[in-house]
Amino acid sequence: MTAWFDYTINGLIVGNIYALLAVGLALIFGVSHLINFAHGSVYMVGGFIGWLCLTRLGLPLPVALVATIAGCALLGVVIERIGLRPLQGAARIAPLLATIGISFVLDQLAQIVFGPDPRPVPSSLPEWTLSLGGATLGSLDLLIAAIGIGAAAVLYVFLRFTRLGWAVRATAQDRDAAQQMGVNVNAVNQAVFAIACGLGGLSGLLVGMYYNSIDPAMGFQATLKGVVALLIGGLGNVPGAIAGSLLLGLVESYGVALFGTSYRDLFAFVLLLAFLVWRPNGLFSSSRRLPPEPLTGTFLSNRKAVRIPPRVIVAVVALAFVVPFVTPSAYVLQTLTNGWIYGLLALSLTLVAGTVGQISLGHAALLLIGAYASALLSVNLGWSPAVTIPLAGLITAAIGTLLVYPSFRLRGHYVSIATLGIGEIIGLVVLNWDSLTRGPVGITGIAPLSLFGWQLTGVRAVYWFTLAVLVLLALLQVRLLRSHLGRTWRAIREDDVAARAYGVRPNRYKAIAFACGGLAAGIGGGIAAHLYSYINYQSFDSQVSILALTMVILGGLGSVVGAVAGAIALISLPELFRFAADYRMLIYGVILLLLVRFRPQGLFGAV
Amino acid sequence: MTSSSSAGADILFDVRRVTRRFGGLVAVDEVNLSVARGECVSVIGPNGAGKSTLFNLLTGIDTPDSGSVRFGGEDVTGMAPEQLAARGVARTFQHGRVFGNLSVLDNVLIGAHARLAMTRRGWPVVGAFAEVLRALIGPAPVRREEAELRDEVKALLARFGTRLAPRIDEPAHSLSYANRRRVEIARALALRPRILLLDEPTAGMNESETAEMLELILELKRDGLTILLIEHKLDLVMRLSDRVLVLDDGRKIASGLPDEVRNDPAVIEAYLGHRHVGAQAGRNETAAA
Amino acid sequence: MSNLWNHKRGAARALLQLAGALTIAFGGAMPAANAADSYWVGVTGPLSGQDAQYGEQWKRGFDLALEQINGNGGINGRSLDYDFEDSRSDPRQAVAIAQKFVDDKRILLELGDLSSGASMAASPVYQRAGLVQFGFTNSHPDFTKGGDYMWSTAISQAEEQPMLARYVTKGLGFKKIAVLYLNTDWGRTSKDIFAKAATANGAQVVAAEAYQPNEKDFRATLTRVRSAEPDSIVLISYYSDGAQIVRQARTAGVHTPIAAVGSVYSPKFLDLGGPAVNGVYTESNFFPGDPRPEVQSFVQRYRAKYGAEPDTFAARAYDAMILASEVIRRYGADRTAVHDGFAKINDVPSVIFGKFKFDPQTRRVAGARNLDLVVKDGKFALWDGVSAVHAQ
Repeated sequence: MTAWFDYTINGLIVGNIYALLAVGLALIFGVSHLINFAHGSVYMVGGFIGWLCLTRLGLPLPVALVATIAGCALLGVVIERIGLRPLQGAARIAPLLATIGISFVLDQLAQIVFGPDPRPVPSSLPEWTLSLGGATLGSLDLLIAAIGIGAAAVLYVFLRFTRLGWAVRATAQDRDAAQQMGVNVNAVNQAVFAIACGLGGLSGLLVGMYYNSIDPAMGFQATLKGVVALLIGGLGNVPGAIAGSLLLGLVESYGVALFGTSYRDLFAFVLLLAFLVWRPNGLFSSSRRLPPEPLTGTFLSNRKAVRIPPRVIVAVVALAFVVPFVTPSAYVLQTLTNGWIYGLLALSLTLVAGTVGQISLGHAALLLIGAYASALLSVNLGWSPAVTIPLAGLITAAIGTLLVYPSFRLRGHYVSIATLGIGEIIGLVVLNWDSLTRGPVGITGIAPLSLFGWQLTGVRAVYWFTLAVLVLLALLQVRLLRSHLGRTWRAIREDDVAARAYGVRPNRYKAIAFACGGLAAGIGGGIAAHLYSYINYQSFDSQVSILALTMVILGGLGSVVGAVAGAIALISLPELFRFAADYRMLIYGVILLLLVRFRPQGLFGAV
Repeated sequence: MTSSSSAGADILFDVRRVTRRFGGLVAVDEVNLSVARGECVSVIGPNGAGKSTLFNLLTGIDTPDSGSVRFGGEDVTGMAPEQLAARGVARTFQHGRVFGNLSVLDNVLIGAHARLAMTRRGWPVVGAFAEVLRALIGPAPVRREEAELRDEVKALLARFGTRLAPRIDEPAHSLSYANRRRVEIARALALRPRILLLDEPTAGMNESETAEMLELILELKRDGLTILLIEHKLDLVMRLSDRVLVLDDGRKIASGLPDEVRNDPAVIEAYLGHRHVGAQAGRNETAAA
Repeated sequence: MSNLWNHKRGAARALLQLAGALTIAFGGAMPAANAADSYWVGVTGPLSGQDAQYGEQWKRGFDLALEQINGNGGINGRSLDYDFEDSRSDPRQAVAIAQKFVDDKRILLELGDLSSGASMAASPVYQRAGLVQFGFTNSHPDFTKGGDYMWSTAISQAEEQPMLARYVTKGLGFKKIAVLYLNTDWGRTSKDIFAKAATANGAQVVAAEAYQPNEKDFRATLTRVRSAEPDSIVLISYYSDGAQIVRQARTAGVHTPIAAVGSVYSPKFLDLGGPAVNGVYTESNFFPGDPRPEVQSFVQRYRAKYGAEPDTFAARAYDAMILASEVIRRYGADRTAVHDGFAKINDVPSVIFGKFKFDPQTRRVAGARNLDLVVKDGKFALWDGVSAVHAQ
């Protein structure tokens, strides 16, 4: 019995920590309808600023706390001014991607400057503890709780009783109306970012002290959990964010209690999906609301897609086939082959995110399913890759579509969060389902590629095979895009309410798109498994998902040629810059930011 | 001019006591409505009277809290918009919702989606699979249907003279507002609807554009199309409608022939009482009615 | 109309330029035809990403070794150098780098990768091309089964875990053990072997909890483990997560004795754990207090150069580089000679092993020894032979 009390207290304490982040996220979402994926990075920066103050500068704790808040508030202002304000008029997805790019840049800069090692953060608080049942509460627990509650209280007073607070709430409700009433919405945005990021940075320091450890990689996980809590509480709902965080902490704790520690994250993401499916507006949501009508003049006014004459494409493809005769270097061919595999992923994503408008942040999970499917079939049943790879494509199409189906009713941000959650869940399931996937050990000794007995051992043979598969699937995709399916998909992307009014069933066509995309990605994963001869649950993780999105945006959302070009650019070209490997992630982040800001339609933009 | 006919087969929309509440606000309050084949019925009323909400209830975008909607003798209450489209209900939207990044041609082609053989539903998963195969392989019947559809759409666009035909491959967002609304109507016609619901088709248009639109609607009416119309411009309403329905605060306060309604004291009261607000807000309010 | 044409030409031109640039760039990325003055060793390991800290330690070990080697005249007058490519410990990258090294004729042998997963993914490439893949921290028992070009001085888990089991059961007297282990291939394999060996020694594993590498909060885990009433805890962790667990355990009032596998052996374990880690038992095949002359010389020079205490990763890297240079020196500077040399080499002073040779069957080092350690007063010290105090 006391164990359950223990778990409850633990859950509340962990939830308390999530709350510090989720509140900031809720504030930001409230005024700018933006999920700040860079929030975890700010949290991490806060931890480091605090660490610098405490260790290098030897400042007392209260000063360090204030310095951290100030520093991160400033960072928040900079993020808003430079990263987000220029994207005011752009498509909804642009700020989302910009924050992802910013988070890459911040995380990598921190890693370059401070190194990846975790470092201890001295806590100069008195060391007393309090026993509650079997659980112990330390002074830091109480400080964090106090700050959490205090921050919530101060925010409440601020939003309720001050002019700036009213301005914030007005902007959150209806930005344009507020602007017309004379509210300086830009100043409000900046103020909110400052407050939210200051709070985020503070929480980073507190958590760093709590676990006596900060490292540059701590931001990403924090963002994920913060977003889950945010969603549970209701996007933009500040008290909801606190409640959602506590609920998340409790669910995780009970999940661990029931199933074991390695299930913690799985529970968190399953909770996320449960809410997305049943209560997308959060814990305190009101009854169903209609999606608002888009006003005239809010279309993405794009330059026309760059039309590449078919002759040029044929020439380039022929060139690609000829490359093995020109450069016999196995290293170059291997790199390009890798690029073709990612080209398959990019094909898949450009269809789903570009043509149909479902911005999937978890697409790499499809590669993972395909890889495992092909690997397991060939290792366990001894079937030839010529059979297992297409089968892997079909299996991925089926599983991927099935898993994502419940989220089809969602739109905008919710879709992205849902796909992010599904991607994480797939990785965690692969990790935990020992009996099927061999858990963390992964699958070794996967047979090399062969076509009915004829082994493709040469690097050239593998190169041609993969290229041929890519070209074939690309042609099929182009054909589909030119058919009635193409216009139907794009109609759903543009305005799914109007599309429904003319008989288009969105679920059906979204499912078709995910199935086609799943096929391509699954085949890509299958080829990868036989190429690498070893896979595990981390082979294709969330970083690959973001990379895929960058590729697709670089090439132009919706463009088949662009998808392949983006894949080659971001997978193969960096091989040339191996010496700058440390900076690779940093460069990706900067590319993403620049693209989103200056050329959102990418190279061959087809949106 | 037929008044509401009692012969069931002739009634397309038979709406009984539909109600829709949003929190404490009753947007549509026990409204009855019937539209017979070939009629042109207008729904008018001051801003916020519940007209667009009523349209949403009739086209499946929203579901009534109580009451029933029957179309062509069939109970369609709570059906999804796709299902209503398949039954021949076509609508345009208050702000002109065309597919901005699709060409004019594609916009109108989508209109026909519900009635195509190549997009037929079929069995749950197999049907979708078959549709993909049809798109990939493009067997002769599919190609024929597509070609015929394109011809039909081009003919449809020709009705708009030189407005739309030369711009057939332009993306819809590059068109003028009036042209976009025309594309919307063309799209609706591509569905070969049994009834056409027009939500403020002339909102935001100037005099000449309004006159053109009026001509077009009269032409459609002459062709025998059943029309249900929300409109603010009362002179249009008088010229087009066989019957008029007046809503105020979600309730029907009058219905009947245009002249009857125009002289109905309750209607005058509703407009008079609101006229101050109306006058201050100006002519072209795009209100959520 | 002409505008449209310009568009097309512009796009075509851009595409061709891109293609051209790629060809030239890739052509240019080919290694120089003639070898430089040095002998080269290729290294695959994490320089970025979550394991980058270990790559850093490796570099320190390598650099220290090279200082010594090249300072003493190098190998037959030529210096030795290494090309460290960042694999992020990622199997994909490891395979690409393998291909690169194989193509680069200067590379005589390869060192790395950090994790068994990354190494094993690349093994087929090395085996096919005939380039020795020399792992020194990848401890998966199957690594050397990849082929006769796979060699390893990493102590396989099959040897290390039973040693730990013997320490904790026979030496410390643990009877009812709760095992917390990293949910990776390394952690999983190790836990399995440990549990088997511990049970064979008469102890009982009453709980086994896997946790994710990025896990920070272990209190729920500790509560769960506590309900099984263990009298001791064994951690199969790296130093950062190990330190976290110990800290949180002590704060939560868990006072049972804790032992951890040798990978926590690092000054960072002490830093991150603070005073809580006093009394934790561990073992190491490298310990700076070891009086052997080669160990002392290494430790002094490391302290002098880096101002810090070396850990196992640095020591192993140092060893690996020394061994590599000896093989090249004694048996010849080409890949086949290196391969043959691995089977024959012996009598190389090693920080980890004393003098050692490979077992040509397993291609691993036979007879590794371990030192039993305990943390005392914020430092690692040799275990004094006193068995651990049992919990109630």
